[in-house]
Amino acid sequence: MMVQALLLILIIPLISGVIMFFIPKKERRAQEGLLIIASLANFILAVSLFPQNFTYRLPWLDSGIELSFRLYNFSSFMLLSTAFFGFLIALYSVIFMRGRNFLNQFYGYFLLCIFFSNAVFLSDNLLVLFFFWEGLLLSLFGMIAVGNKEAFKTATKAFIIIGVTDLCMMLGIALTGHLSGTMTLSKINLPLNNPLASITFILLMIGAISKGGAMPFHSWIPDAATDAPLPFMSFVPGAMEKLLGIYFLTRISLDLFQLNAQSGLSTLLMSIGGITIILAVMMALIQKDYKRLLSYHAISQVGYMILGVGTALPAGIVGGLFHMINNALYKSGLFLTAGSVEKQAGTTDLGKLGGLGRVMPVTFGCFLITALAISGVWPFNGFFSKELVYDAAIERGMIFYLAAVVGSFFTAASFLKLGHAAFLGKLSSQNEKTKEAAGAMLIPMIVIAAACVIFGLFNQLPLKYLIQPILGDRLEGHNFSGFPVNITLVVITFVVLFLALANHLFGAKIKGSGLAALDHIRYAPALSKIYDLAEKRLFDPYHWGLGLVNIISKLSLGIDRGINWLSDGLSVRLAYGLSSGIRKAHTGNYSVYLSWSIAGMLIIFVILIIL
Amino acid sequence: MSPTAKDTTMHYSGLVLGAIFIPVLGAFCLPLAAKVSKRLRNILSFIFIASSFILCLELIPLVLSGQTVSISKQFALGLNFSLLADSLAVFMACVSSLISAIIALYSFGYISHYENQNEYYCMVTLFLGAMIGLIFSANLILLYIFWEITAITSWRLIGFFRDKPYVLKADKAFLVTVFGSLLMLIGFLNIYQQTGSFDLPVIKESLKFSAVSNLTVALILAGIFSKSATLPFQTWLPDAGVAPSPVTALLHAAVLVKIGVYVFARIFIVNITPDVLWHTIVPLIAGLSAIVSAGAALIETDLKRIIAYSTISQIGFIFFGLALGNEVALLGALLFILMHGLAKAGLFLCAGIVEQNAKVKDITKLGGLISTMPITAISFLFCSFSIMGIPPFGGFFSKYLVFSGALAEGRLWIILIYLVCAFMTIIYLFRVFNLVFLGKANIPAREASPMMVKSVATLAILSLVAGILIYYPYQFAQKASWQMLEVIR
Repeated sequence: MMVQALLLILIIPLISGVIMFFIPKKERRAQEGLLIIASLANFILAVSLFPQNFTYRLPWLDSGIELSFRLYNFSSFMLLSTAFFGFLIALYSVIFMRGRNFLNQFYGYFLLCIFFSNAVFLSDNLLVLFFFWEGLLLSLFGMIAVGNKEAFKTATKAFIIIGVTDLCMMLGIALTGHLSGTMTLSKINLPLNNPLASITFILLMIGAISKGGAMPFHSWIPDAATDAPLPFMSFVPGAMEKLLGIYFLTRISLDLFQLNAQSGLSTLLMSIGGITIILAVMMALIQKDYKRLLSYHAISQVGYMILGVGTALPAGIVGGLFHMINNALYKSGLFLTAGSVEKQAGTTDLGKLGGLGRVMPVTFGCFLITALAISGVWPFNGFFSKELVYDAAIERGMIFYLAAVVGSFFTAASFLKLGHAAFLGKLSSQNEKTKEAAGAMLIPMIVIAAACVIFGLFNQLPLKYLIQPILGDRLEGHNFSGFPVNITLVVITFVVLFLALANHLFGAKIKGSGLAALDHIRYAPALSKIYDLAEKRLFDPYHWGLGLVNIISKLSLGIDRGINWLSDGLSVRLAYGLSSGIRKAHTGNYSVYLSWSIAGMLIIFVILIIL
Repeated sequence: MSPTAKDTTMHYSGLVLGAIFIPVLGAFCLPLAAKVSKRLRNILSFIFIASSFILCLELIPLVLSGQTVSISKQFALGLNFSLLADSLAVFMACVSSLISAIIALYSFGYISHYENQNEYYCMVTLFLGAMIGLIFSANLILLYIFWEITAITSWRLIGFFRDKPYVLKADKAFLVTVFGSLLMLIGFLNIYQQTGSFDLPVIKESLKFSAVSNLTVALILAGIFSKSATLPFQTWLPDAGVAPSPVTALLHAAVLVKIGVYVFARIFIVNITPDVLWHTIVPLIAGLSAIVSAGAALIETDLKRIIAYSTISQIGFIFFGLALGNEVALLGALLFILMHGLAKAGLFLCAGIVEQNAKVKDITKLGGLISTMPITAISFLFCSFSIMGIPPFGGFFSKYLVFSGALAEGRLWIILIYLVCAFMTIIYLFRVFNLVFLGKANIPAREASPMMVKSVATLAILSLVAGILIYYPYQFAQKASWQMLEVIR
């Protein structure tokens, strides 16, 4: 029975995704029906599989490559989360995507995405995991590409960034197999005591954090926010990629390798986390578009998770994982509110929005809850996970804690700006007729907002039953549910949040609008130049990478042309030179020829005599 | 030997001889057939190539069971007519003839409005025959003869369009490869001096306890590299892009350039063990070749030249896998031959469709073709994915296995070169795809004839299927690699 359920959870999204591509464009109802049914079936199966443990193996190829699937508490938790978001966002997409082109393709990729991520979570073989992991790249590419006309460029950018990092991961996987002699995830447990193991860890980590969208592999996400269809943003970078990236990061640092708090790799991870938090949130501050602003937060928030997992302390790992699920909730919820604003008001440009709170009260309510959650306000879920991360970060170093707290300040500030600009203030004339979104779009938002409250108020629920069992012995008997233990940190958090509010009120007062409330930071003396450069995309690592590749290419072409000259230029010239030299000797004069012959004969004689 | 056993041996020898001589002799009947009808000629050409494929397929069960077929007829001066069909040869022959058959189908549409069709079909069929002959050769001189036949046919095929610049490019391809092969011939003579035979099995026996000199290895490698368009003999391949597209697909992507790779495997892995030194030199040269051509592919603007550079770059990976010489890397290299052949032939054929319908090869002038030729565009994308090594496409497994084999040898620094190459592969293929198929449509062009589109789509789908059903080619290649390394299982 369990085997059937396990196979079904793979087969149903796969088959229905493939069928979707062949449903003709006109059959909109059939497409929508299939999407809803398949994602609902996936959800039900995930629930039925939830608390179980078993392994299922199918031999596939030799040299240790077999299709083996392992269901245990971590993977079933991930399956459930993906299925939850998959179903809600499918429901939302059905209304949101109406009237757009390539619906069958979008839905098809959507279901394939669910299939691939289910397969990744279940794989117990590294190469099989990677096989599906890369499959995701294809469906991601497809989902972005069906956006607007410019979307292909962004899709390419995403593909190149993730493709390159995935190649690193592939190398890491091959190295892991080489080091441990097996590809079975549950059998690998390597110490990080030699350089080769560290390189392997870094290569795998690159794959994991790039999937999560951390810096420096982030730069496609803001572009996708503008170009890709919104349900994609909500589902993929909002929820699923974080789940995948952090899942794999946790697997490599907990199971595959023995990452401990003393190692430099842990510090490396925390630094990546800290830098991602700060830089991305600084960029989020200055965004003037609802979706783009959220997309920078999608990057910034993953920093907290990497920071948490990177501490290699129980509190940090639990906090990181808790933050992962919390972020998936409020971030996909926030993107969904952006979607209803886009659908109803026709734009996400904050300059053109305003006062929507009055005409779209439910959307506003959901926004409020999710925004409070992401800012880490008590009693919402984000507060609890952030406190756990703070707790672990401060134990590893003040600097990491500072990064996290400063990040929180800016997060709160940018959401105050966003909420103020979009939902408060005066309703602009073009939005006077805007109405609340349709029910099928509201339900997912409400469910997600409710989950944010529940995961906050009753945080022992996710912590005790979903997350803490994952750590097993690493938990060392701790229990992190309930109100945070470290009251000092809580007090600091409240102060920081209060400062963010004060800062907003100050900014809004001097500039006279919510949108411009952070302009005093944007145009602060030292920052303004940097921001100018950042807006010109000078800090996009993708462009640096392409620049570097360009240099290699020019050099290569030079070498290639040089070698070409050897065959096309030099050898031809040599031949011409030789023959024209000899031609001069051919004067047609008999006596000259005779003297040549005698000279030749003499030379032969001389050689013979010497020999 | 019992009569039945003798019959089966005869049967299998017949298969091998048929696979070689049906296309070789058939090629010369084609101009005659054209006197009857052009259609007959085209179909006959396809039948000759396809029958070669089918005969090779029939050899698969035999070689999978670990047996080999050998035919030998002694002549003076060691110029024996000896053939050998082992797993490696049959694998290679199947791949070459399969791809050739698909390309022949495509040619029906592509070549139909040009002159000299008789010559074209004759040369293509003869080429495939010579290729199969080369694959089954177990005598160095026989191998050399077939090698030069492929050189002559490819010279004619590259110069298919008779304009002066095209003919010059054809001459260049011929001169460079023949220069290399003459060096190789000297190498063969050196071996003859040392062992007294051109027959590979005999050479293998007598070289068990002595090594060949590095000079000999270098001479033979020069021939191999010139045929496989590897640094420093690479430039003829992009120049040969002036040929008709099915020719470029056949010769320069899928089949001809694999000759060098195959001969490398045949001579240096199966029969002669070169000095350890070459385990470093060959990957380095191949890596340099791979990265130089990948860079050139990023800057070039001529569609076919880009794909040709990409071929050079991927050939580097195959040499890398072969030169490493362990089981996994070898397996990867063999699968690479298959996957790259399918995908690269697909890319060249797509380029042919674009070139023929848009009348332009400069990718900066093209754009937006996905709306008018969707199947070609999607096929191009599929083949690109396979070459990039993205699962579930076939190219993933070959690339992964080569890397994995390299790691087992602990060659981290050399791997780095290839990793950069793999990055660049993704970038240059996307650059081509974006410029040609996406963006604003500058030149109106419609989809090609159904036969051409179908053959392109077949290659794209095969690239995908080869990945999903990796089990079968994997088993076959694994058997071949065991046989090559003489691992008993």
